[in-house]
Amino acid sequence: MKIVVAYKWAPNPQDASVGVDGAVDWSRAKPGISEYDPVAIELARRLAEATGGEVIALTAGPKSVDASMARKAALSRGFDRAVIVADDALEGAGTTELAAVLAAAVRHIGDVDVVITGDSSVDVGAKMVPTVLAGQLGWPAVAEVTAVSGSDPAAGLLRVERAITGGTQVLEITGPAVLAASTDAAVPRVPGMRDILAAGKKPVETLEVPALDVPASGTTVTVTATARPDLKARKGQLIDTADPAAAAAELVAALRADGAI
Amino acid sequence: MSINIWIVVAGDPAVGNLIDTARSLGGQVCAAVVGSRVVADTVAAGGVDKVVWFGEPGKAPVEAFATAAADVIEATPGVVLGASRASDRVLLGAVAARLQAPVLTAPSSVSAEGDTLVVTRSIFSGIAEETVTVSGPVAVVLDGGPIPVANPAGGSALMEEVSAVTLGMTVVETHSSDFEQVDLGAAPRVVGIGRGLKAPGDLAMIEALAKASRSEVACSRPLAEGLDWLHKDRYIGVSGQHIAPEVYFAIGISGQLQHMVGVRGATTIVAINSDPNALVFTEADYCLVGDLYSIVPALTDALR
Repeated sequence: MKIVVAYKWAPNPQDASVGVDGAVDWSRAKPGISEYDPVAIELARRLAEATGGEVIALTAGPKSVDASMARKAALSRGFDRAVIVADDALEGAGTTELAAVLAAAVRHIGDVDVVITGDSSVDVGAKMVPTVLAGQLGWPAVAEVTAVSGSDPAAGLLRVERAITGGTQVLEITGPAVLAASTDAAVPRVPGMRDILAAGKKPVETLEVPALDVPASGTTVTVTATARPDLKARKGQLIDTADPAAAAAELVAALRADGAI
Repeated sequence: MSINIWIVVAGDPAVGNLIDTARSLGGQVCAAVVGSRVVADTVAAGGVDKVVWFGEPGKAPVEAFATAAADVIEATPGVVLGASRASDRVLLGAVAARLQAPVLTAPSSVSAEGDTLVVTRSIFSGIAEETVTVSGPVAVVLDGGPIPVANPAGGSALMEEVSAVTLGMTVVETHSSDFEQVDLGAAPRVVGIGRGLKAPGDLAMIEALAKASRSEVACSRPLAEGLDWLHKDRYIGVSGQHIAPEVYFAIGISGQLQHMVGVRGATTIVAINSDPNALVFTEADYCLVGDLYSIVPALTDALR
């Protein structure tokens, strides 16, 4: 099988700072493989090990996604090769634009049986890129996927387990398909020194957006204002805990006075 | 607004918030409903102008209708609203792709100014907000809200049944899990635990506090994913539940942004943590710096 994992090289908003005007400063936030993507990679590797085949890393973003450290961080996780769309035109690209570029890259790779993604990206967290990607390709999509196997790989049949409210469901899907892994679908392997050294030798194809057939959007989106979120003012009242029983009594009294309990 | 307003429904009629939002924009509201006839009827009676229904799904999951939903909406594109649930996102994603429409998530307000949509939304896990104006087709992901209440005057929207070509997907097995279902969103008080808790055996102490304070128990991500001490349903955070209880007890929780965005709606936050520099104290009303293993039992006694 030809398995693609679409991953993101992104910083964590926890490490960004936000100005009073709502401007986000990412300069101190170091990018990395997005939080949930290793889960997708693990699902892909298990599928490849069970059915035979290759696992291809795919990402799209500004030039920084093709930095040597970014490449190694991805390729040390067990990919056979990588396709990287690195183009500064993708700085701050929206969900639909990013999904359209990824879809074009999947077409460029050709004969892909399945694309697996993480649950959501650590920075944007919309959970929409995989579903829009599937829409761009006209393929079935399933989110909250907990396991995947090739029930009849030769016929392109996938057996996909997903979490639903109150349980799980098994689907049989005629591929190709896009699957978004649940956040806890698998425990990712940690790359060892040998994986990191081997990463540098794996083939990488780098593309720019004009090399791909990406449809344009007719919609204009204009940002008219940014702001810091209006957080509730909190009391921040310190309760001395030297005597736990007294602290507990003070807290309970305060909560009762507030009408909170 | 004179442009088309669509809502997409993926087998779950809990779309009251979508209908309310669509109505507030002031145009004709059409619903593209995947699911059983019961779901379509519920939506039709819930305040939309028209329902396009794709017929009984049989063994096809709702996702199998993604292309069909895109086909229908493509004929009269506009503003398309969908719920943030997994299957709803799949339908909305297919529609957004077909329209090459941008997708906006986590809105706090959606309004119309003429034919322009104005959306204020939370971005980057809630660290900032932006307001955007949108001209042209757009997809908006929002909280589905409750099942809509049928119009007391009776009456129902026009229903058009269309035959759909489905994608090759079949449900072959459905298993219900045996864990106790919990509705954290409805709980007036929630006790949230984090990595400050040392062992799964300590959950008994937490459950005693929950019982004494009539709270539900929740947790930060590591306890539900990785450690598996609690079911994932009880995980609060950016990719988990978002709650707004009257009281939230944050116990042994460091207060990482990814967790706190899920509890910022709480009326009162009590934080118990041994680290005086824990981030959680910056967002708490009552701050107890100390050993949770001595404070929690004392608090349980005081509440009894």
